[in-house]
Amino acid sequence: MFANSETLIRLMPEIILVALATWIFIGGTFWANRAFWSTLAMLTYLVAAIALYRHGNAPLVMSVVTIDYLGYTLRWLALLSGAVLTLMASYHLRDQLASEALGLIMLAATGTMLVACAGDLVLMFLGLELISIPTYVLLYVARPGREAAEATAKYFFLSILSSALLLYGFSFLYGLAGTTTLVGEGGVLGIQQQLVGATGGSATGLAALAPLAIVLIFAGLGFKIAAVPFHFYAPDVYQGTTNTNAGLLAVLPKIAGLVALVRIAVIAMPAIAAYAWHLSLIIAVLTMTIGNVCALWQTNLRRMLGYSSIAHAGYMLIGLTVALGANAFGSGEVNPGYGGVGALVFYLVVYVFATLGAFAVLAQLSTPEQDVATLDEVAGLNKIHPTSAALMAVFMFSLAGVPPLAGFWGKLTLFMSAVGVVTYSTNAAITPWFVVLVVAGALNAAIAAAYYLRVVSAMYFRPVTNAAPQVPSPGGIGAALICAVVVIVIGISPRALMTAARAADEAARTAPSLPVNVATDVSPASAAMAQR
Amino acid sequence: MDHMRNWLLATIATPLIGAVLLCALGNLGRNVARWLALAVTVVTLILAGVVVVNFPADGANADQYAVTDVAWLSAQSGLDIHFSIGLDGLGVFLFGLSALLMFTSVLVSWEAIQDRAPLFYTMLLALEFGCLGVFAARDIMLFYIFFEFTLIPLFFLIGIWGSEDRRYAAIKFFIFTFAGSVLTFLGLLAIVLWHAQQNGLNYLTFSIPELTASLQQAPLPFVWQYWIFLALFAGFAIKVPLFPLHTWLPLAHTQAPTAGSVILAGILLKIGTYGFARFSIPMLPAATVHFMPWILGLSVAGIIYGALVALAQKDIKRLVAYSSVSHLGYSMLGMFALNSIGFMGGTLQMINHGLSTGGLFAIVGMIYERYHTREIASFGGLAWRLPILSFFMLVLTLSSIGLPGLNGFAGEILVLLGMFQRAFAESPPQWLAPLQVLSVLAVSGVVLGAWYMLYLIQRVFFSELREPSQQHADHRPVTDMNLREIAAVLPLVVFCVWIGLAPDSLRQRMEPTLLKITAATEQPLADRYTEETEITASALGATEEEKLSRVR
Repeated sequence: MFANSETLIRLMPEIILVALATWIFIGGTFWANRAFWSTLAMLTYLVAAIALYRHGNAPLVMSVVTIDYLGYTLRWLALLSGAVLTLMASYHLRDQLASEALGLIMLAATGTMLVACAGDLVLMFLGLELISIPTYVLLYVARPGREAAEATAKYFFLSILSSALLLYGFSFLYGLAGTTTLVGEGGVLGIQQQLVGATGGSATGLAALAPLAIVLIFAGLGFKIAAVPFHFYAPDVYQGTTNTNAGLLAVLPKIAGLVALVRIAVIAMPAIAAYAWHLSLIIAVLTMTIGNVCALWQTNLRRMLGYSSIAHAGYMLIGLTVALGANAFGSGEVNPGYGGVGALVFYLVVYVFATLGAFAVLAQLSTPEQDVATLDEVAGLNKIHPTSAALMAVFMFSLAGVPPLAGFWGKLTLFMSAVGVVTYSTNAAITPWFVVLVVAGALNAAIAAAYYLRVVSAMYFRPVTNAAPQVPSPGGIGAALICAVVVIVIGISPRALMTAARAADEAARTAPSLPVNVATDVSPASAAMAQR
Repeated sequence: MDHMRNWLLATIATPLIGAVLLCALGNLGRNVARWLALAVTVVTLILAGVVVVNFPADGANADQYAVTDVAWLSAQSGLDIHFSIGLDGLGVFLFGLSALLMFTSVLVSWEAIQDRAPLFYTMLLALEFGCLGVFAARDIMLFYIFFEFTLIPLFFLIGIWGSEDRRYAAIKFFIFTFAGSVLTFLGLLAIVLWHAQQNGLNYLTFSIPELTASLQQAPLPFVWQYWIFLALFAGFAIKVPLFPLHTWLPLAHTQAPTAGSVILAGILLKIGTYGFARFSIPMLPAATVHFMPWILGLSVAGIIYGALVALAQKDIKRLVAYSSVSHLGYSMLGMFALNSIGFMGGTLQMINHGLSTGGLFAIVGMIYERYHTREIASFGGLAWRLPILSFFMLVLTLSSIGLPGLNGFAGEILVLLGMFQRAFAESPPQWLAPLQVLSVLAVSGVVLGAWYMLYLIQRVFFSELREPSQQHADHRPVTDMNLREIAAVLPLVVFCVWIGLAPDSLRQRMEPTLLKITAATEQPLADRYTEETEITASALGATEEEKLSRVR
């Protein structure tokens, strides 16, 4: 039974957000007032945050909604990004379209939160569409002109295609398992248990289609997180739209896509992890390398941040690869440092705030008439707006992973999880793969430093070229300040976030045990272990 | 003894507080900023002085000196990272040197920095915080954080206040160091994880003393040591810089402002050699022994290459920069001779180089402030014009080339003794010839060093008086060193003479720690020796038998 009272209470934050977003839509048609609706939107996020704090915490697995620490952490992240995006957007909207844009941002954030706690393919797809559809409209209303239209069209068609691929993958999964629930409980079998049962003996017949399903799902979600080879849209779309929208695109779909990958590939399909980790590893290496190398030549900051967001997706896939590898070749010992999912969650939080912050600085320097986006336009920023320049420098150093900022701990957790596979694995065959993965990650960190430093170098070392100083908008600077505080506080004292990430990691590791009748079957992973 | 931990904490905290204060107070104007910075560095210097002076004179129990250990991330979170600081015989003098050179750096920047002065001094103090922290850290993560953190302030120092090519130099410096250090990071992580896995810990420990002790009890397998050594090598060798990874250094030096050069040469390069001594040698002894001949070879190549290139320079600062490549080669040579004499010499040479080259860069900066050029050809006979400056330059030069009675001699002689001992007395037979060639070549560096430095002195200070045309816009009448400038260089010269006359006071304090480090390599060296000897013996035996059979 889906709509029992417990579920409703647990989903209270999402319900509040959707309800108020609808109100903001309707109200906006009667009274177009940017300041009022912005305030109301911020209050809504506050109320939703209180609801999330009170009801979101206790772990609970139901057939459709999964409340665990993985979902809990990422729901907070989505909620906070929604609030920061609202702050960024609030001062740049025209009165006429303000309420629409604010409502759409709120809906997209809600969609991300839904994906984070979805335990069912249908709810997950619903959540993903709740991100995509508002995004199409946002891209279109944000700015008039051909560039924006081009960006919108590009995003729209590719997004539709990716949704179709994802659905196709889901349909294979449904066909294999006969259910849309990821992890069953209380005697009901979910995809996890069914797949283990189906592939338990010989991988023939229907079960042989499981790899096909995972490939299609990787393709569909790869678009959301802008992983190679589904990344082509990102730089063009980021460049063509506003700073706020680019921030939204760099953050919300990425959270949703990654958590969906973890839920499907790591939690629901451990049965074919031995196949999936290869796929994930190759995509990870390609994504970070291509993202970073292409970013080196960019002079448009939004385009550069677009490539940078691709590269960071690659880093986060390191975490996914490690989690899949652990599923495939898990030994008795557990790496006490970090599991893959924990590292991924930690890095995701760190990435989100640094990226949002960078876009917030750009947003608050821009006006509707003049859009600040190129390196030349921020040259000498230190002399005009020292605060903005300092904030931007903080975000750039954090993205580059230099201590003592948050990005450093993100790199630490990711590399640690990957090196942990090498030290803890009992299987010598996978060691070289993970060594390649982690060395590629390290070299990429160095390549990435080059283009982040170019931004800092332009702001601090070059003379002023963009002489007309704008008045920074309080909303934008507020958003940037919030992000900077988070980045610096996590950098100095990462303990709280580390605890949260570990809890998320354990949630992914200790998914409900299999029902008795299935658990007696031998999974291919353990069969392979036994043969060794 | 216990109260020294508070002094040490205060020493490290003072520059940080100063930096935050300068940053928070905002637009103070140049005058307030520089006085504040001077006050902070003087206080730090006094505090550091107390800490260094109170170090036990026989160096006993050095790893317990002034230790503060607070959990940063709890063991429950899996990562048992501590804020753990303390000084031992390896770090204590480098720590003192950092505080001393910072004082010099503030004084040499006094007039030179006009633009955005508060920001400049903020960065300088932040850099001091990082440098002091690196040499005091007893936790791998803490060390790494301080190590990387030093990159940010220096990046700004070079990029904002450097010469015309500064942007390129700043980025090149950052990328080179960063690229190496991320690989170092992987190596360190592998050590930590391997240790936890072997001991079945349910948390990761990052404590340097604990890991060192444990890895000496139960060494890593050779394959692991081999790869981890290469990973650490990437970061530390770039930092030293070891030939052929030195290309970033002359560029960074010539573009950096004087204070930046003083700190870069005096302190930051030492982090590389310090890293080898702290991590590579004691934690990975078998790999150290395996790579020893190659590193010795690279060191000697650096010594000779650096000296020859220095000889050909037209710019005073570039000449001193290349001399750094040569001198750090000596430091590496001594350390990787892997005997107690050589190691002592290598460590001493780190301190000596900091004093003399730091001082030389300061004086080059003073010359540049007076004439706005550093071209050797445009100077001549400055000794007549600037007698005090020439005096200091000459003393520091003599210290740098190792005149007996000054500090350079004490370091170089120990390095060479150690190297000769390794090559002639302790070498496995198969390495005998190459090591002997290397040791003889290393001596030639002493001659070359004297040649390029004295040639410089002769051209700039002692030929006919020749000054650059004084057409420069803000040219003031050239005067000799004032009190501020003397105060900047005098302490360095005093220490040069003191170490030259009484090197034993340093040796006694450092020795127990250093012996512990070299002791780690004794067993692998002995293994290697027997192994090589057996191979040679069996090869010889085979040929003997062959000969015999032929005779029959």
